[in-house]
Amino acid sequence: MTKNEKFILVENFIVENREAHYRLAYGYVKNKENALDIVQDAILKALNSIDRLEELAYLKTWFYRIIVNTAIDFIRKHQRVTLMDDDILVLHLPKIEDELTDMDLQDAIDQLPPQYKSVIILRFFEDLKIEEIAEIMGVNVNTVKTRLYTALRKLRVEMGEEFTL
Amino acid sequence: MKKLNNLKNKYNEIEIPSELEDVVKSSIRQAKTTGKKRGYVKQWTIGAAAAAALFIGSINMSPSFAQAMVNVPVLGTIVEVFTIQQMTINEVDHQADLKTPAIEGLTDKGLQAALNEKYIAENKMLFKQFEQDVAELEKAGGGHLGVHTGYEVVTDTDQLLSIARYEVNTVGSSSTTMKYDTVDKQNNVLITLPSLFKGNLYIDVISKYIVNEMKANMAADENITYFLSTDEFGGFEKISADQSFYITADNKLVISFDKYEVAPGSMGVLKFEIPTDLVKELLVSNTYIH
Repeated sequence: MTKNEKFILVENFIVENREAHYRLAYGYVKNKENALDIVQDAILKALNSIDRLEELAYLKTWFYRIIVNTAIDFIRKHQRVTLMDDDILVLHLPKIEDELTDMDLQDAIDQLPPQYKSVIILRFFEDLKIEEIAEIMGVNVNTVKTRLYTALRKLRVEMGEEFTL
Repeated sequence: MKKLNNLKNKYNEIEIPSELEDVVKSSIRQAKTTGKKRGYVKQWTIGAAAAAALFIGSINMSPSFAQAMVNVPVLGTIVEVFTIQQMTINEVDHQADLKTPAIEGLTDKGLQAALNEKYIAENKMLFKQFEQDVAELEKAGGGHLGVHTGYEVVTDTDQLLSIARYEVNTVGSSSTTMKYDTVDKQNNVLITLPSLFKGNLYIDVISKYIVNEMKANMAADENITYFLSTDEFGGFEKISADQSFYITADNKLVISFDKYEVAPGSMGVLKFEIPTDLVKELLVSNTYIH
C-alpha cells in the first residue's frame, strides 16, 4: 500500500467516525468549543505522524490514543478549578462507610482523575475491549483491569452479573 | 449497572454540533498542506540532520569544542572542511551560488585563519564582481549570466589535505577555473608547487612530459584534442611556475588545467598525473611525493 492510499484510508476513518471522536473528547472536557479543539488537534497530530501507524489493524486504537492524550494534555494545561459540592468532596475524603446514594454518577465520573475517567469512558461508553483500552492507554492489560476496578470502586457502582471484563 | 447504562445513553446523546464536519474537514486540509512540507522526509533524517547541524555549529562556534573533537581518536585525524558561507542570487537571468569552504582543526591557527580568510575574500570579490557584471549587462539590455563556486576535498590523509575550489562562469557557455590548496597537516605548511622542487628545472621536465602525453592521447583517440604550441594557432608550451596542482592520497603529483586553458571547452578541466620517477631527482624531499 502506498503512503497516499494509507493517508486516504485514515482520512476516511476520521471523517466517518467524527461523531464518536467528538463524544470521546467531549467526555473529557464537557463543552463544545474545547471538544472541537481537541478533535482538530488530534486530526493534525495523527495525519502528520501517519508514518508511526505501522499496521492499519491498529488504526482505531491509534487514533483513540491520540484523542485521549490530546484531551488529557488539554485538561492539564487548562487545569480548571471546579467548585465541588460537599457531597462530592466527601467522595474524595477519607471514607466514612456511608450511603451517598444521591450522588450523581455523571458528576462522579467527571471528578475522576484522567486515567480512571479514560477506562470508564472507553470501557462502558465506547464499548472497547480491555485489550484495546490497554493499547490506547499504552499500559498492559492488568493495569487497565486494576484501574477499572479502582474506578468502579470509587464510583461505588454495584457490579451487576452481566458485567464481563 | 443500570445507572451506567443510563449514562451510556446520555453519552450517546451528546449533541453533535453542526460545526464538527467543517472542523474535521478543514483540519484534514490543514494537515495535508503542513504534512507535504516534510511528507517524505523521514523522522530519522530530521534527527540526523539536527545532530549534524549541532556538530558543525558547535565546531564553528566554539574553538574549545573543536579542539576537544580533534583529540577524539577517529575525528582527530580529520581536518574538517565545512561550508561556512554561502551567497546566492537566483533570478531568471542570473544565478550566483558561492560556497565558501572553511578549514577547521589545523593546529597552526594562523595558517588556518589565513586560508579561511582567503576563501572568504575571494568569494566576496567574485560576488561583488558578479553584481557589477549583472548591472552592466542589464544596462546593455539584459542577458544570461551565472557564477557558481564550490569546493571538494580531493585528498585527506593523515598528512595531506588538498582542497579544490572551482568557479564556473556561465555566459551562454561556461568556463571553469580550478584552484587548489594543499596543506601539510602535520607540519602546518601550505604547499606550493615551487616549494616542492629544487630550482626551476621541474617546469621543463613536467611540461615536456605533458606535451608527450597530449600527443600520445591524441594519437590514440581522435576525439581528444589539445592546443599545442606546434599548432598554427599556438597553444600549450609550458606549465607556469605555480601551475594548479594537488597531491593524491597515494602521494602522486597531479597537474591541473582549467577548461579552455590547453584544450577546447569540450575537454573540460584537465588533469595529468606526473609519474614520480620522472621528477624524483628534482624533489626537495620525498615526504609528499613518492
